[in-house]
Amino acid sequence: MTHFKNDHFSRLTVAWLVLVALTLASLGLSEWFREARWLPLLVAAIIWIKGVLVARCFIEAQDAHPFIARVLKTFIAVSPLALIATAFFGGTLARWATL
Amino acid sequence: MTAATLPAEPPTCPEIPRRIPGNKGIWAGITCEFVEFGVLFAVYFIARAHFPQAFHDGAQRLSVTAGTAITLLMITSSYFIACSVNAIRQDKHRQAVIWLVAGLIVALGYPLTKVLEIDWNLAHGINGESGIFFTVYYYLTFTHLVHATWGILGILWVLARLSFRGYSSADYAGLEALASYWHATDIIWLVIFPLFYVLA
Repeated sequence: MTHFKNDHFSRLTVAWLVLVALTLASLGLSEWFREARWLPLLVAAIIWIKGVLVARCFIEAQDAHPFIARVLKTFIAVSPLALIATAFFGGTLARWATL
Repeated sequence: MTAATLPAEPPTCPEIPRRIPGNKGIWAGITCEFVEFGVLFAVYFIARAHFPQAFHDGAQRLSVTAGTAITLLMITSSYFIACSVNAIRQDKHRQAVIWLVAGLIVALGYPLTKVLEIDWNLAHGINGESGIFFTVYYYLTFTHLVHATWGILGILWVLARLSFRGYSSADYAGLEALASYWHATDIIWLVIFPLFYVLA
């Protein structure tokens, strides 16, 4: 575990810059492609990439206990998948979720 | 002379790292936090599936500036706190304190921006009874604000301990536990932001 002693400052900085860039990019994309049918797909991908970046670079999930890694992986994947399901199969989902 | 043969030892597998960032307690809390928001997100997606037009129109009425500001504040405070952990691992105590203070200052921008956003909402006639989209929006964002407030109180506590040299490269579990909680709260916001402010 000696690699934890290494200086990860540049790795953290690159991750932060990518997160900022993705945040600004998602705003631009939503403005330019507001009516595009595939926009939710793109937004879902951005949510997933940002989640993975925080988990890998800030929490170091790849070195964590498998339970922690699985919890993070699942939580980060669920919302983008639900977003895609709602965008493309909203009617079916609404029928299933009707009491 | 007979030679007794010992059975060959089974090959040893390389040890898989099973590290717990921070401590077990914080991960029990983070898992509960994820379950709580998992339920709230389920409510969001079911409501969105039932009322797609209300969600499409509602997102256009929110302040994208406030949503973006909160996102940048969360990302940046997360980064500063990660840098604090990075510094203490190398026994750079002074740097660790500076990074954590920076993280605290930026994190405090979140509740401040939220207050301004709520003022802006009320001025534009947006409250919890403005429709299904806004009910879900207030539920989810207020719950997140409560979790972030716990995180800010945690930062204050850890900062006090760090200032009195409570952490070193040999033991920084408390600082890392706080960082893990804050990063998890950041991940949750990174989901909330596009769902309410981007998908107009």
